[in-house]
Amino acid sequence: MEEKRNQLHRIGLTVLIILGVLTIGEFFIGAIAWQWWAILLAIASLKAFYIVREYMHIARLFQPQEEQVE
Amino acid sequence: MNQPTLSQYQYLQKTINNRLGLWLFLVSDAFVFGGLFIARFYLLGTDARPEVNQIVGLVVTSILLLSSFFMNRAETAMATGDTKGFFRHARLTLALGSLFLIGVVGVEWRIAPYPPDHSVAYALLYTMTGFHAFHVLSGLIFIALVYRNARRGLYSAERHWPVEAAAVYWHFVDVVWVFFYPALYLIGQAI
Repeated sequence: MEEKRNQLHRIGLTVLIILGVLTIGEFFIGAIAWQWWAILLAIASLKAFYIVREYMHIARLFQPQEEQVE
Repeated sequence: MNQPTLSQYQYLQKTINNRLGLWLFLVSDAFVFGGLFIARFYLLGTDARPEVNQIVGLVVTSILLLSSFFMNRAETAMATGDTKGFFRHARLTLALGSLFLIGVVGVEWRIAPYPPDHSVAYALLYTMTGFHAFHVLSGLIFIALVYRNARRGLYSAERHWPVEAAAVYWHFVDVVWVFFYPALYLIGQAI
């Protein structure tokens, strides 16, 4: 369990770093080039993708029932 | 008196159904937030936004992202039998979530130059942040209830669906803000 926890913590930290870098990136884009709305929305979509996949564990919804009930 | 308890198989079956129900609710809630998001671009286009403090926006966004990270840690801790870790990280999530609320409602609303009835831009600003703030508040209450139940020893590594539900709901609130942040703070010139 300890090993599993450490592995999940590493993934969580990696996602936080990615989200932090993207947030700072979009802040500077917004400050100097607010017209680039498509890029800003693309960055937001990328951030949402990581949260939904790694933090919300959307994949659990699509796992076969037998696999989850084991 | 002995209370009837579910077998582990029954509990997992129930969790699968609960999980589907929660996601159906989140998708329906996302349509409401999506409507607000589309209204912002339909009414203001991409050239205008309300006059907000971009530094406050960056700070509250960072706080909410950090709270999501700690909620993920709290859920992981409970799922791997680290109850103390759950309490520590859930407390951090509650503190950061409260800070986010103070940042938006207590700071941003206070320093915004106009009230909601000034123009469409400000009506959108208060509606979008207000509606989101209510979700943050309900998420905080949800996490606090789960925290109290965990203190009573109601959850374990094998049975902790309410912890997972609180975490998924909290991350959903985070996802909504991920889209609201550029829409309100970054895209367009302040009017």
